[in-house]
Amino acid sequence: METPLIAEFKGLIRPYMFWSGLFQGWDMFAPEPRSVNAYVEAAVIYKDGRIHNWKFPRMEQLGLTERYYRERYRKYVENLQVDSNAALWPDAARRIARLNEEDPSNPPAIVMLIRYWSDIVPRPDGSYRPEPSRARIFFEYNVKPEDLK
Amino acid sequence: MSLRAFAECWNQFFFQPKSPLPIASFRILYGILVIANLLLLWPDWLAWFGVHAWMSLSTMYKVEPGIRLNLFTVIPQNDRWSEAIFWVGLIWAAFVAIGFLTRLSSIATFLCLASINERNLFAFHAGDTFLRIAGFFLIFAPAGAALSVDRILRVRKGREGLEIASRSPWAQRMIQLQLSFVYFFAFWWKSMGAPWVNGTALYYLNHLDEIHRLPIPGLFQSPIFTKVGSWLTLALEFSLGVLIWFKELRYPLLIAGVLFHLTLEYALNVPMFQWEMISAYVLFVDPADLERAGRWTRARTAAISRIRFGASPSRV
Repeated sequence: METPLIAEFKGLIRPYMFWSGLFQGWDMFAPEPRSVNAYVEAAVIYKDGRIHNWKFPRMEQLGLTERYYRERYRKYVENLQVDSNAALWPDAARRIARLNEEDPSNPPAIVMLIRYWSDIVPRPDGSYRPEPSRARIFFEYNVKPEDLK
Repeated sequence: MSLRAFAECWNQFFFQPKSPLPIASFRILYGILVIANLLLLWPDWLAWFGVHAWMSLSTMYKVEPGIRLNLFTVIPQNDRWSEAIFWVGLIWAAFVAIGFLTRLSSIATFLCLASINERNLFAFHAGDTFLRIAGFFLIFAPAGAALSVDRILRVRKGREGLEIASRSPWAQRMIQLQLSFVYFFAFWWKSMGAPWVNGTALYYLNHLDEIHRLPIPGLFQSPIFTKVGSWLTLALEFSLGVLIWFKELRYPLLIAGVLFHLTLEYALNVPMFQWEMISAYVLFVDPADLERAGRWTRARTAAISRIRFGASPSRV
């Protein structure tokens, strides 16, 4: 319930909550749980035109132990793919470029961030059928030499 | 209720001295959980907090401008210093767990937690938030007044008697209230979403690939279980947020809460979250029951030691 009074009050205390480390939000899986299975991959295009498909760790593809300590990637990628978090994209592209630098004479030239998603559609009998997957390039970054230093 | 009566209730609730056993027990669990969290972060520490992390410090400033309680902004910008924060945090968290220099170690541990949260706001979940806020209030609590190295040292030096003195519980109350807020607002937000109200919410969660841990039996994925499960979640979160303050309902609700979180721990991959929530339940346990549990544990440990070593020929 975001009334103007509550919004004003929140705006007033927000800087202090952040400053003191007391900021918080408790909307876990709410008001609606996510209704898409989504993940992010990157296409790394090298100077010579070769393309490499780089993947963020996907929890469902990891073993139980690795899934436990790599869960931060799930949270990060969940945030990364949201348009309102576009400020995160250049840093992510730069890091992917660095991670994929193999040959200094043939460095990564372009990094494209691609979102893949498939809707979760409830069925009356409770069964689940994966919907067709879709993809969208949501960010393209031209790698600069200083990014790889 | 008159204003005077309200003020009396307020003072009694926040300031009437109580046994520090619950807060001391929570301090131990909190220290262990912080250590576990740091160790889980260690393999990717530099990916999150290094100079070339997924999010740079300058981007963090851009996204969330303003003054922050963030040690990463005051250290030299290189990976060695970033790693130093991990080791310093780990040592202070161990001190919190054993109750050594409790006040100071609580402050240092909170600073470390706040810093890693502030350094990368986009990789942390609600469990981290709860741990951080509980850590803030722990700073002001008499967390070293029992079950701590600090207390052993004080007793040895004759500064304290063998009996544990009661202390003002206001900081413990704040953590209890925070836990209630977590549940109540989790209920509140969910109650505003159609899937939780019409009972389809768990269907989405059951089929969200990235969040799964262990397989959920088919029976529990049927429409009727999905509906009942969604509504039970709402009912339980409301109860743990509001009804937990009624003494008669407290233990049944705590047991239901533990079962709820263990079920989530089985089904969902949200590391440490469930344990972080369960750890704070100890603050709602009656100190007399905690003492009883402690005596029972000591008696059992002694009995096991006697059975194991008592009849050993080498010791006879």
